[in-house]
Amino acid sequence: MDPGDVSRRRFLQASGGSLGFAWLAANWPQVTAAAEHAHAASLADPGDHSRLRLLSATQARDIEAITAQIVPGGDTPGAREAAVVYFIDQVHAGAWASGAKQFLDGLEDFRARCARHHPGTRHFADLPEAEQLAYLQHVERTPFFEQVRFLTIVGLLASPRYGGNRRKYGWKLVGFVDQHAWQPPFGHYDAGYAGFAPYPDPRA
Amino acid sequence: MTGRTFGPNETVDFVVVGSGAAGGVVASELSRAGLSVLVLEQGPRRSAADFSHDEFDTWFDLGLSNALDTNPQTFRASASEAARRVVDLPAAWYAPMVGGSSNHFTANFWRFHEVDFDERSRLGAIPGTTFEDWPITYAELEPYYTRVEWDVGVSGLAGASPFDPPRSKPYPMPPLPVKSSGVLFERGARKLGLHPFPAPMAITSVPYHDRPACAHCGFCIGYGCEMRAKSSALYTTIPDAEATGSCEVRPLSYVARIETGAAGRVTGVAYFDATKHERFQKARAVVVCANGAESARLLLMSANAQFPDGLANSSGLVGRNLMFNTYAQVHALFEHELNEFKSVQVTRILHDFYDADPKRGFYGGGGLDARSGPMPAVWAAFAPPPGRRWGAPLKALLESMPRAMMVATHGTSLPLASNRVDLDPDLKDAWGLPALRVTYRDHPDDLAFARFLQDRGVEVLQAAGALEVWEDPVLDANGSPHLLGTARMGNDPRTSVVDRHHRAHDVPNLFVCDGSSFVTSGRGQPTMTIMALAFRAGEHIAQFARRGEI
Repeated sequence: MDPGDVSRRRFLQASGGSLGFAWLAANWPQVTAAAEHAHAASLADPGDHSRLRLLSATQARDIEAITAQIVPGGDTPGAREAAVVYFIDQVHAGAWASGAKQFLDGLEDFRARCARHHPGTRHFADLPEAEQLAYLQHVERTPFFEQVRFLTIVGLLASPRYGGNRRKYGWKLVGFVDQHAWQPPFGHYDAGYAGFAPYPDPRA
Repeated sequence: MTGRTFGPNETVDFVVVGSGAAGGVVASELSRAGLSVLVLEQGPRRSAADFSHDEFDTWFDLGLSNALDTNPQTFRASASEAARRVVDLPAAWYAPMVGGSSNHFTANFWRFHEVDFDERSRLGAIPGTTFEDWPITYAELEPYYTRVEWDVGVSGLAGASPFDPPRSKPYPMPPLPVKSSGVLFERGARKLGLHPFPAPMAITSVPYHDRPACAHCGFCIGYGCEMRAKSSALYTTIPDAEATGSCEVRPLSYVARIETGAAGRVTGVAYFDATKHERFQKARAVVVCANGAESARLLLMSANAQFPDGLANSSGLVGRNLMFNTYAQVHALFEHELNEFKSVQVTRILHDFYDADPKRGFYGGGGLDARSGPMPAVWAAFAPPPGRRWGAPLKALLESMPRAMMVATHGTSLPLASNRVDLDPDLKDAWGLPALRVTYRDHPDDLAFARFLQDRGVEVLQAAGALEVWEDPVLDANGSPHLLGTARMGNDPRTSVVDRHHRAHDVPNLFVCDGSSFVTSGRGQPTMTIMALAFRAGEHIAQFARRGEI
C-alpha cells in the first residue's frame, strides 16, 4: 500500500472529516505527519486484559469492586466496565513499580480490616452493594482509599494502552474525543461570537 | 540536525549552558554575530515526531520533566525544617531537553508592564523583603519584546487591553480563535465593567515562517507540540542558531562546574557526556542559561579556592530570592457544552488587577485567564470538590466535563532572601553531584492577593451565568515551573549577582541570563520576559566580544 494512503486514511479518521478544505490545503503535509504519530499511541498496543501481572485474582476482585464504587456503572459504563483494575495492576508492574509494595501493603490492610468489620464475609467484593458503599464511606479518609480513588480516575482516563479505559469508555463518559485536529466553533458559546469589540482608547 | 561540530581541543568563543528559552536566544544572537558557540544541553534532543498526546506519560509519569530518580531534589518550607526528598512533582519543575521548558509550557506570552520594573520606587520598601527596582526599564526592554513577538512568533491583538504598555509594532499574527471559555469569560468580565482581551500566545494562529498554524488539538500544557505550532526554542531560536553555521547544540551534556584560572576568569566548563565521561570544554566566555534553579546550582557547584562560596557569589545572593508566582483556580459548570479539551489553553485574559493597590491592605498584582485546565485525567483527579470526589456524585461531575471551564489567577511573589535554591548537604544525583535543595514559603501578601484574585474569578464566572462555581484551596507553594530571581540583576555588586547586561559582577567573562535574572516576579508568564532579556543580553554580549571587552 502506498504510505501516502495510510497517512491520508489515518488523518481522515483522526479529523472526522470535519475540517474545511482551505485549512487542509494550507496544512496538509504537516497535519498528516503529526496525526500519524499522535495516534500511534492509541491505535497500537491496546490494553492487555488476558492476565494479571501483580495482583492475585482475589485481590483484583476486591480492587475492581472498590473502583466500581468510585465510578459506578449503571446507565453508562463505569470503572468496572472500563477494566480499570487492569490499569491498577499493570501500572504497579510498570511505571509505578516502585510504589507496588506500599500499594499491596495498603490493600492487605484494607482487606484485613474489612473482614474484621464484617464477620462471616472474607472479601470486600462479596459484600452486598449497599454494604460496600457504607464501608467505603467509613474509610474514605484513609490514604489507601484516596490512593485507589486516584488510581481509578487515572486508569479510567489514561490511554487504553495502559490497561484501563477499555473501549474508551472513560473518554466517552467525560465527552473527550481522541482526535488530532479541530476547527472552530469548539463549543456552544463560541459558535455565535460576534467578534472582539474594542474599548474606547483611554488616551483619546 | 545541522550546524557546526567543534573538536575536543577547540576553544570556542562561548559555551552556552542550557538550550531553553534563554539559551536558544543567546546562542542565536551570538552565532549570528559570527561568534563560535557551543550549547551544552543536559537532556536529549527530541523532534516533533517524539511528542505524543499521552496524558499518563506526560502528567503522571513526567515523561518530559526532570527525573526525580536520577536528578533528585529536596524541599523544605524554611531553613529550620529538615528538607525532605521530593516525590511526585519536582519542586523546581522543568523540561531537560533541547528547547527546555519552552517545549512543554502553556505559551502564555504577556509582556511585563512598566510598573514591573520600577515598582519599588512607586510603592516604597516592603519590610522583610528584598523588593527592588530593576536596573533596566520597560522602555529599554520594549524593542526586545518586539523581537520575541516577530522572531519567535506570538499571536495577539495589539491595543486590545487598555492596560497594555506602549509597543513599537503590532503582533505578527492575529489572535487564536476564541474558545467558549474565552467567550464566557469575556461576557462575565464585561458585565462587571472589566476589560478582558484576546490572550497573547506563543502559538501560531496562521502559518508563520516555516511553521504551520495550530491544529487546535488541545495538548499544549505540559506537552511538546507535534505540529511545531508552539513557538518553543526547539522550533525557532535553536534552528536559527544552527543555520548560522557557527553554533553546535550538544545534547546529553550535563555541566558539572565552570572552571576559573589564576586571573579569576572563566577558562571553560567540565561536563559529563552521554556515557557519563567527564570532559572539559575550553571557552573564552560562558553564558549560563540553565534556568532559575539550575543556573544557581551550577554557580554554587563551581566553588573553588578562589571563589569559596560559589562562582559570582560575593554578594551571597546566588540561589536566593527565589520566586514562583502564585497560581489559583476557580472551576465552573455552564448549561451548554464548551468542549474545552479542544484548542489552546487560554484565549481571553484580563489585566484590570495588574497594579498593586495599597487600599487592599496587602501587596500584589496579577491577571486572570479563562482556560481549559489540563485534560481529561488531571481535571478528573484534582478538580472534584469535597462531596463529589467519588461514587455517583463523581460520575455525574465527570459527565459534565464538556460543560466545565476554569479561571486561573497569576500573581506576584515577593522576593525573600530566605526563599532559595542551594546544594543539599547529603543527597547526590546520579552523577555524584549535590542535589538541588529548595526552600520556599509564600509571603502572606502573596497568598492574600492570590485569594483576592481568585474571588474576582468567581465573580466573573457568576456574571457569565455559571450554574456552579467552586474554588480550589489556595495553599502554600511547594514547587513551580516558574523559577525566578536566584541571580538577580542590579547595579550594585553588594546586592545583585549580575549587572544590567547580565555580566557577573565578580567574573568578567561569565554571564547569567534566564529566569534567575529577574529582580521581581512579574505577574506570571515569565517566558516572554526571559526571551526578551536574552535578546538584549545576546546583543550586548556580542558587542562586548567584538570590542574586546570580554
